[in-house]
Amino acid sequence: MLMPKKVKYRKQQRGRMRGYAWRGSSLSFGEYGLQALEPCWLTARQIEAGRITISRHIKRKGKLWIRVFPWKPITKKPTEVRMGKGKGDPEFWVDVVKPGKIIYELEGISESIAREAMRLAAHKLPIKTRFVSRESKELR
Amino acid sequence: MSITVKAERREKRGKNSSRQIRREGKVPVILYGPNIDNVCLSMNKKDLFGILKTETGENTIFKVSFDSDKRDVMIKDLQVGPVSDEILHVDLIQIAMDKEIQVSVPILPMGDPVGVKNEGGFIDLITREVEIECLPKDIPDHIKVDISSLHLNQSIKVEDIVLPERVKMISDPDTLLVLVEAPTKEEIVEEVAPEKEEVISEEEEPEVIKKEKGEEEKE
Repeated sequence: MLMPKKVKYRKQQRGRMRGYAWRGSSLSFGEYGLQALEPCWLTARQIEAGRITISRHIKRKGKLWIRVFPWKPITKKPTEVRMGKGKGDPEFWVDVVKPGKIIYELEGISESIAREAMRLAAHKLPIKTRFVSRESKELR
Repeated sequence: MSITVKAERREKRGKNSSRQIRREGKVPVILYGPNIDNVCLSMNKKDLFGILKTETGENTIFKVSFDSDKRDVMIKDLQVGPVSDEILHVDLIQIAMDKEIQVSVPILPMGDPVGVKNEGGFIDLITREVEIECLPKDIPDHIKVDISSLHLNQSIKVEDIVLPERVKMISDPDTLLVLVEAPTKEEIVEEVAPEKEEVISEEEEPEVIKKEKGEEEKE
């Protein structure tokens, strides 16, 4: 599972998810990509589930890039614990994804296979996404 | 044949007037260049699409006319909405037709590599554009690269490109362009015990970077 090797502080505040992902919103490595259309906390498990789905579908051919990384620790209080007594312990890791962020990129396979792989991976994610490719990008 | 595009000078600045311009089907534009003052303009979106759809794309040289003035320009930068794919703003740079300029030109791989046809590899386009220097009239649409002779794990670098006449390469000659890669074999390990791996990794916590004692005392 993805998580940082070193952190400066164990716990973080929650923050907000306003605006668009201006950085990381265009294809940088591959020919095809999966772009987020909604904001969310993408957990390490979700990222990994999508990765496994894609790599199984493309059957070792092609190359996959994961453009998100769960930098943010999310804490949780144990069940049946009264409020107070400080913040809970880190439970899992997430990445703050904003609309426009490219989550996965693919290269070296046909568009139909890439499209299907991304469709399957999108089912593992908690947000609406869309398939993007370098060729089909149409400016408005 | 050069394209001429009409533009209007815009007096008001800021997001309010820019949004107004976008609502009218236009795009806010700024024109700049060496030894000239910046000019704020607005252009029709349709004209801009016409330029971008030409074979040279963003490297197209065209004339922009405003206030009884005509200037040779090129698109320097395009701001596009991350979700809407709408053109938000365009930077135009004025160019002198007799001076060499630096532009990035796309690479066009030609042919099917042997490594893909017979050896089961796949093409990895590592660099899609290269930086060149030439006169504005000599800018090529793309640079063709023959990749048909590539076997598995073989690559083509910038130094292997045959450039058209009067074009100088700026990109690093060691930059990798195209690589024929072999399929990876990583999935087998994960399928053995994915759940076990998850449990171990989630219990672990990353190391917290602490300040050294000397630094703390100083503070």
